[in-house]
Amino acid sequence: MSTSTVSTPAATAPVEKRSALAPLGKPFAVAGGVLGIVAALLPWVTFSLNDGNWPDKSTLQFFDAPFAVTGFRWHVLLLGVLVLVAAFAPVPSRGRVVRALGWGLTIVSFVNAAYITVKGGGLAAITALDGATAFGSVVGLIAGVLAILAGYGIGIEPVGEWKFKVSTPVAYLVLLVSFGAVLYAVAAMLTTGGVGASNPYAGAIFLSFLGFAGGVLGALSGVGFVRWLSALSEQHRVFSVIVLAACALLLPFTDAGNEYWMTVAANIGIYAATAIGLNIVVGLAGLLDLGYVAFMGIGALVAANFSGAATAHFGITLPFPVAAVVAAIVAGIFGAIVGSPTLRVRGDYLAIVTLAFGEIFTRSAQNNIGGITNGSNAIPGIPPLSLFGAEFNKSISIGAVKLPAGVLYYVLIVLLVAATMAVFANLKFSRIGRAWIAIREDEDAARAMGIRTGKMKILAFLIGATLAGLAGAVFAHKNGTVSYESFKFLESVTLLAAVILGGMGSIPGAVLGAALLFVLPEKLRDFEDYRLMIFGLALILIMRFRPVGLIPDAHRRAEMIERADENAEEAHVEAKKA
Amino acid sequence: MSTPVLEARDVSMVFGGLKALKGVTLTLDEGKIVGLIGPNGAGKTTFFNCLTGLYTPTTGQVLLKGNVLPGDPAQVTDAGVARTFQNIRLFPSMTVLENVMVGRHVRMKQGPLASLFHGPAYHRGEKAARDRSRELLAFVGLNNLDDELSRNLPYGDQRRLEIARALATDPAVLLLDEPTAGMNPQETEATQQLIFRIRETGVSVVVIEHDIKFIFGLCDSVSVLVQGELLVEGSPEVVRADPRVVEAYLGKPPEEVEHEIEAAKGEQA
Repeated sequence: MSTSTVSTPAATAPVEKRSALAPLGKPFAVAGGVLGIVAALLPWVTFSLNDGNWPDKSTLQFFDAPFAVTGFRWHVLLLGVLVLVAAFAPVPSRGRVVRALGWGLTIVSFVNAAYITVKGGGLAAITALDGATAFGSVVGLIAGVLAILAGYGIGIEPVGEWKFKVSTPVAYLVLLVSFGAVLYAVAAMLTTGGVGASNPYAGAIFLSFLGFAGGVLGALSGVGFVRWLSALSEQHRVFSVIVLAACALLLPFTDAGNEYWMTVAANIGIYAATAIGLNIVVGLAGLLDLGYVAFMGIGALVAANFSGAATAHFGITLPFPVAAVVAAIVAGIFGAIVGSPTLRVRGDYLAIVTLAFGEIFTRSAQNNIGGITNGSNAIPGIPPLSLFGAEFNKSISIGAVKLPAGVLYYVLIVLLVAATMAVFANLKFSRIGRAWIAIREDEDAARAMGIRTGKMKILAFLIGATLAGLAGAVFAHKNGTVSYESFKFLESVTLLAAVILGGMGSIPGAVLGAALLFVLPEKLRDFEDYRLMIFGLALILIMRFRPVGLIPDAHRRAEMIERADENAEEAHVEAKKA
Repeated sequence: MSTPVLEARDVSMVFGGLKALKGVTLTLDEGKIVGLIGPNGAGKTTFFNCLTGLYTPTTGQVLLKGNVLPGDPAQVTDAGVARTFQNIRLFPSMTVLENVMVGRHVRMKQGPLASLFHGPAYHRGEKAARDRSRELLAFVGLNNLDDELSRNLPYGDQRRLEIARALATDPAVLLLDEPTAGMNPQETEATQQLIFRIRETGVSVVVIEHDIKFIFGLCDSVSVLVQGELLVEGSPEVVRADPRVVEAYLGKPPEEVEHEIEAAKGEQA
């Protein structure tokens, strides 16, 4: 099968809409692309705003070098050029690509325009003032809308499918470059707009960048590249994981390599690891768990009490690896206990049971029931980890390179996430993983296939909780304080949202979901009061327009897995001979 | 013959005040195909559920090769009784191959540790399961569809996939619940051939079906269930000739029904 697609006239309504726009598809795309480029070369603000000039020299008075485009203007320029390229180059499912780029243009223009309007106190800031014009954002918006319409005009065809195979070295190169680009994008995303309140326009810069990144990603996905890449990385799983881990470990050497972002990235990592664990329970086995963060709390509490902190209760101090294993085991045991009622309850009722468990945990911890949580006083003063005398929360230097404080925590957490991913991936492609998915799909049929559903469900809870407990142990040392406040219902819901947002059953999805949900609040400090509202709104929109999640579980190609199996088998045989 | 491969002894099932089954007895000898027919609400599916461990009979017992079956569907499958469902119940978002590999679940040795750390044993086991699954897919006539999602298959192929999945559990007895429901005559014919071939591999089969013609052409023996009771049991010829069956199953036959039966007889002959 090639990339050629048979356009099937579906329901009548879309066909009419398409036919009205169809002749305008290409002209609109060309106009959108040109206008996008023009917008990048225009000024965007008519006067200096109170909080300082709008970034990237886009204010009229300072618009001395129109062709020296940077920042968001560079993004707009790039999107415009890409729209033009897509309009003329023979790309598969052109409509999708142009539409995605159009959305990128629209979002970038809108975010900037909205911020400028609000900060500048009215529309005068973005349009004409005393004869001076700054139509950048207006032109950009028009370009975006035109490109979106052009997308519909050209027609939304199925995502392109790339069937061509590449040799292993080429595949490695493609994966290297792609993951390198991902690393660059992550570093850029973290650092755009600077740290917290240091730049008054941080929120705008970040959101604008998100719009740009989203547009480009949408185009890549529309053209079929993302699907092809995920199939490729599935085929070279081990290599992908190594490269991905290496990329993650390189983050401290990028612009994001300062203490602040190391801390944020480490926190994201902890939640990402927990989200992957939750993904086993929810994504694979299909068991809705609304109290999952409690297992992380249990792990954190156990580790805290073994940490040698002044207020710890167990009276013995265990080295961190041992404490972490104990924490994971204890959390796992609780997981199995919570899992047992699931033998009897299904669906909504199970969600209520887990919700209740989460609540029991929070309340017991709050009231210091069992006497190991210190209630609302929490367990402070948990000593930071150290290895060979290097404390994890201090900065270290390797040779001449000085790495920021917290980098060792970051490294530890990257390894934790990698280990969690490996556990998830290996389980997913195994007898147990298949049994879980079968239970998720049809529990009665799964039982009729000889799957002991009860045992399997408890196992899912147990493994998920173990991973959460492990993450919790790292969390305790990383933050230095363990309080019940960190493990409330909202955290459970956020984790669940991360899993569903990213795509159930998908590892990159869970990581991306966790990253978005825990970076966004950091970046949206401008909004303070509206933060959760915007957050909720974004969730609703994503669920409406992309219910499978941002990175859905790319369906694996069995033949590729099989090749990996046979290679491993051969390698084993050869190793025996040698 | 020695012990029958599957034997239901005096199985009764009571739901509250409703007697769904009243002392039903069924014997399946090795390498035979037994048909189970009866009007709607006769208790066929209830009886099936007793055979597959979904229900535990109120009285009576079900024996597989002389051993009492456990009262749990998973363990029954493990013991060697596989089934398909009246309304197809595949795992819709798994691929064709994965669906069959789920069927291999009970016959695979892979434990949690092997699943967690993919060692050589894991790879060997997976390969064996995959090979066997492919073999079965070829057996039911679903070649080169491995990576297709099962929900995307045409109806008839879904039925065959369900049979392949059931066969993947290496059953001694295969229970088919209305395998030709919704099929056209060609597909029905193909299904009949498939069931004959399954019997040739040494698997004994029990079939529930509404299509009398299909049952009479397929089965070595037919049991008629009416209102929870076994009305007649015997070879297709015996059952077909029994006036009680015609009456119970079809009511007082009007002209057309008689014609239809005549036609069925004609085709059988």
